[in-house]
Amino acid sequence: MAKSLLSIRGVSKNFAEVEALQEISLEIYSGEIVGLVGSNGAGKTTLLRLMAGVYKPSSGTVVLSNGEPVMNMRHELGVVPESTGLYSRLTAWENIRYHSRMHGVKDSIAWARTEKFAEHLDMKDSLGRHTKGFSRGMKQKTALLRALAHGPNILLLDEPTAGLDITSARTVRALVRQLRDEGGTVIYSTHQLAEAQQVCDRIVIIHNGEIRADGPPQHLLDETGTESLEDAYVSLTLDQARTRKEDNAKESAFTGWWRRLFTPKTPPTTQEVIESE
Amino acid sequence: MSDGSFRRVRSIAKKEVVEFTRDWRTIIAIIVIPLLMFPLLFILFPVLLESEAAELDALELSIVIQTDGLPENLAENISMSGMNYTIESLPATTFLSEPGQDLERVRNSSTDAVLRFESDEEIWGYAILHLSTSERSNEARNRILNVLSVWENSEIKERIEQGGLDVNETLDPLRWDGDIAAGDVATTGEQSGMILSLFIPLVLAIWTYSSAIQPSIDMTAGERERGTLEALLCLPCTRMELLFGKWLAVATITGVGVLLQIFGLLFAIGYLATSSFIGVPQLSIASVLLIVLAIMLFAIMVVAFELALAMRSHSVKEAGSILAPALMLILFPALFTQVINLDGIEGFWFAIPVVNILLALRELLMNRVITEHVIIWAVSSVVYATLAAYYASRQFSREDIVTSLS
Repeated sequence: MAKSLLSIRGVSKNFAEVEALQEISLEIYSGEIVGLVGSNGAGKTTLLRLMAGVYKPSSGTVVLSNGEPVMNMRHELGVVPESTGLYSRLTAWENIRYHSRMHGVKDSIAWARTEKFAEHLDMKDSLGRHTKGFSRGMKQKTALLRALAHGPNILLLDEPTAGLDITSARTVRALVRQLRDEGGTVIYSTHQLAEAQQVCDRIVIIHNGEIRADGPPQHLLDETGTESLEDAYVSLTLDQARTRKEDNAKESAFTGWWRRLFTPKTPPTTQEVIESE
Repeated sequence: MSDGSFRRVRSIAKKEVVEFTRDWRTIIAIIVIPLLMFPLLFILFPVLLESEAAELDALELSIVIQTDGLPENLAENISMSGMNYTIESLPATTFLSEPGQDLERVRNSSTDAVLRFESDEEIWGYAILHLSTSERSNEARNRILNVLSVWENSEIKERIEQGGLDVNETLDPLRWDGDIAAGDVATTGEQSGMILSLFIPLVLAIWTYSSAIQPSIDMTAGERERGTLEALLCLPCTRMELLFGKWLAVATITGVGVLLQIFGLLFAIGYLATSSFIGVPQLSIASVLLIVLAIMLFAIMVVAFELALAMRSHSVKEAGSILAPALMLILFPALFTQVINLDGIEGFWFAIPVVNILLALRELLMNRVITEHVIIWAVSSVVYATLAAYYASRQFSREDIVTSLS
């Protein structure tokens, strides 16, 4: 059996009164691609941020195989957040180098790894360019190169193909599979079931902050007695999805009162809209 | 601080400075404007004023003189001052200054001014009607006043001589004997320190705060808005390292801006004034070291405070609308400090935030090292800087900073 790399044990995460995740337990094993699938607001990003050590669990632990909390071992991880987080006034290589230096990796080692993966992603000629003019796909690929440059044991990808064209999305998926084949471990958040089925060895379905299913795609079909993953997903998430609340900015009583003071109490009628033009 | 921690802080600061300076607008804001602001204000502005004054001097003005008898030499002087005049008889008014029927023609600029001049045996009475909102009319009034003043002086001298008195002895019975500057026992260096103490602390306070606004916002709320902060928070660095790295970058950018502005200010003053007006202040080593300490403590406090406020904000817009008005917290104490008398000043002044550092700088630039004051401002400033840094660290430790509007 493969070795467990990351253990999430009884983790809950609360934001004020909202319970974003409830008693989540999950083991991530070496050499697998784990897909986190769920609707918007299900808790995928919160779970990824907990795994990345950005959030502290309200209860429970997120630890690596050596028993250390992930927060103290972030150099073991490579993270591609949904927003990519590239600095537009730096070149692609400067972005990558900045992160690898923060990981304590020498420039020569980071460059060698970057060059290898850039070839695969067809990004080698763009490494010296400012990222400001990059397309969404190029930004995503740069963020991926940046996450790989220090040689992480676990790669966390938040919606890595969102907004990408078909070719770029295929390239990213191919690289993820290649990494797995080379022994790497990838946690892949997506809300597209077809993509998860195509890429992931194991799918974890999250709904309203709970894990509803965990296993290989075929296992989910067998468990739910359905013929497609979409049907399986629907049967597992029959209760209405909650609205996304954890990221909402808190507002003071005065700010709320002030905002309401200048907000119409009722929506305008069609006639009012026409007259206002 | 461990070696790895120091390396990460340095990497953060370096990246922030590089990224910030790659925007040409930033270079203008932190280098060009601070460097040129005072030279432009002190050198170009007077040149502009001179050219405006020369333009006014060249104007040919027309005035009306209403009189019952104008002395001949006065009429000559008026003609020589670039004013054409027509003589009219005096109107029937209680006082000469009442405009009466002349109001309209002065208001509609039919004439630039009206001089009323009345003789009453040995005494003359006069009034000038003018329109203060018109440059031509103002200029006419000034020229008339000059001519009248010259004429009055010659009249005074003539009358003194007619009375058989010596003009100089009568008009100037009390005189300074010798060089006026020699009576001041303060050294040139002390005088320079005194002059510098009137504006260096003010410039330093306002510019330190205002030049830190843009980088503070860009490196915190800006990162948050652009979604780059999440990737940064996933790196193996602590929030304190992040804060320290960003603080170092903002302090460096602000420091460069403040230094350039002071350099520009000194250059402008040096260019305008004689060397005796502004020289090198006479400062002891202790004063110099304490000035550096005071500036450092002030910068730690201000930059940490701004970073904290900016990090609390969810967007650049929100941060700007908080940090810009907060300038008043520096501006008012800074202006207030300029008028406080340093002789015999009570110690508590040196414990008030912002005021303490500015007063300390004023004292130190005048080379006054008063141990009691130094202890009060140093201790209180360390406390305030620590509180600001603690507040900033609390803001940087918040979990919600990872969320971005984008």
